[in-house]
Amino acid sequence: MTSTSYNALTDTFIPKPLETPSDGDRFSDAAIAELEEIVTHYPERKAACLPALWLAQREYGGSLTPAAIREVAERLQLSYTEVEGVASFYTMYNLKPRGRHHLEVCTCLTCALLGAYDIVHRYEHELGVSIGGTTADGEFTLSEAECLNYCGGATVIQVGDKYFTGVTPDNCLSLIEELRKSNEFTPAHLADSIVKIQTPGASVTGGGSFTSQDLI
Amino acid sequence: MAILNLLLEHRDVPGITNIDVWEAHGGYDGLKRAASSERQTIVDEIKASGLRGRGGAGFPTWIKWNGLPKNYDQPHYVLCNADEGEPGTFKDREMLLKLPHAVVEGIIIAGLATYSKVGYIYIRGEYTEPAWQVRKAIDQAYQKGYLGKNILGTGHDFDLYIHMGAGSYECGEESALMSSLMGERGNPRLKFPHAPLPTVAGVWQSPTLINNVETYCAARWILANSAEKYASYGTERSKGTKIMSVSGHIARPGNYEVEMGTPLMELIREAGGVINGRLKAVIPGGSSVQIKTAEDCEKINLDYESCGANGTLLGSGGFMVFNDLTDIVQLMKRTAEFYMHESCGKCTPCREGTRWMFKVMDRIASGSGQQGDIELLLSIASQVDGRSYCGLGDAACWPIVGAIKAFRSEFEYWIEHKCSPVGSRFVPPQVEPVNPTLALTAK
Repeated sequence: MTSTSYNALTDTFIPKPLETPSDGDRFSDAAIAELEEIVTHYPERKAACLPALWLAQREYGGSLTPAAIREVAERLQLSYTEVEGVASFYTMYNLKPRGRHHLEVCTCLTCALLGAYDIVHRYEHELGVSIGGTTADGEFTLSEAECLNYCGGATVIQVGDKYFTGVTPDNCLSLIEELRKSNEFTPAHLADSIVKIQTPGASVTGGGSFTSQDLI
Repeated sequence: MAILNLLLEHRDVPGITNIDVWEAHGGYDGLKRAASSERQTIVDEIKASGLRGRGGAGFPTWIKWNGLPKNYDQPHYVLCNADEGEPGTFKDREMLLKLPHAVVEGIIIAGLATYSKVGYIYIRGEYTEPAWQVRKAIDQAYQKGYLGKNILGTGHDFDLYIHMGAGSYECGEESALMSSLMGERGNPRLKFPHAPLPTVAGVWQSPTLINNVETYCAARWILANSAEKYASYGTERSKGTKIMSVSGHIARPGNYEVEMGTPLMELIREAGGVINGRLKAVIPGGSSVQIKTAEDCEKINLDYESCGANGTLLGSGGFMVFNDLTDIVQLMKRTAEFYMHESCGKCTPCREGTRWMFKVMDRIASGSGQQGDIELLLSIASQVDGRSYCGLGDAACWPIVGAIKAFRSEFEYWIEHKCSPVGSRFVPPQVEPVNPTLALTAK
């Protein structure tokens, strides 16, 4: 079975349309309006690819399924493969479903120097998964992050939007306890709604409740 | 010469992220002065200040600002590179978080100076917290009429948008950043002299100005005060100040703004000195630059020339301090792993070379090193350095070559004795998951 057919007249191969999954569009009306506003920031529609993927990641519950990529491609009038290529390049787009809390431990130079690997091993031991794994109850995904650029507050752990700084092997387990108690769903990032120009006068929400400590 | 807070002067003022407080502390004075000047006057002011790009390369800023065409055939764009990813650097994060109006003001000034109507600030995806501060700052600037149509009655329009990245170190490189802004994979492009400069054909093939966050803040300071005042600080060829992000085995890590030409050891003293041991080595400018031994550090001053003369670079200011319990080989293995992970995979020397270097480093640092591995590393590095599309290939080689030069005996010790000369905490103990049922869905 071939996936292309040959057109002798124009000497070209015509690819057959890929069978992309379609279980209906899931962008809400608000998300569509947001996307249409973002598109106006750029001279061409394609440039909205990254923000659109952020939106899709939110609308599809934290990960970019093939259906999410197809919907982004259709809304931006791009091909499926083009959008998939972009989505697979960047590490913050989750192509696989993640747990309710995504623990990203920075293990780059300064953090590693100050004990980040000890923290990783404690988490592996506590959660029973290795790096990249998700616990069976779907609560935690553990991964290693390259430099999160808060080296002054090493070790840094990113959970969703929040940076937790000054984590040590001694206090790292209390973070897990705290997250187990919270009702939030944290794998998605807020990056989707920052790019939207807020209505003048409206108070900006979402930026005020972060817990990372200030640098000295 | 020591700590000199020009850009960070107001960082601890309560509520400085609010536009009213910012204006009360001299905010938007630089923009007001720029709005009443000719375009060329602004560029000349930057030229007189001797400001050089603070993103790492140290390219004279005014040449970029002056390089955009003076006609209106095409739209011009101003980009701000806030995709801070260099290990050890966190100055841009603090600027965006605490002084977002300084960044916004600097970008608007650049917009006036280059006749650009649209600007983008490319913030890395992890920086949601600083990005919200920039979002608020932009919205407040729109309300006050510093952004939008007819800024301060000049007849000039300027819109500023935030573009969030999604986790790629490579996008901090200017041509990759432009690819990413256009909605593509963050791959770099051919550069001058093989392709036109961004100031001629950058994003969407239009003239584009691209600078680092700190550069825009410095430009704002120069316009708000004066070029002569800025040029009176620093050394003959490195003017002004540099923000150094101090981390590692140091008593008080954080961002320190120092006058150019400050002795390196003085910065260590300012930051409280080395902890848990004696000073062994310093990486003065982020993971991409050469590591220096404690003896060499005595000779180095923090400016472009002195760092260059001593075989390292000032880079982006990621100042990492290591005490004598640090295993340099393990450190370099982690550095090699970083570049292997972050290589975008476009060009062969970097894609393959970074993997080779990591494999050899991993072999040495896990006790399986062979005689000749040091020469092999140097040979790979010589074939990657200068042969890749962008600076990532070079940046992957310099730290390893620098470490072999400065600490060759430690590499030899690892190869010969199969263990660390200092007994490092880097070596990860192998831990089996205790609860195998929970681990069912692990990859």
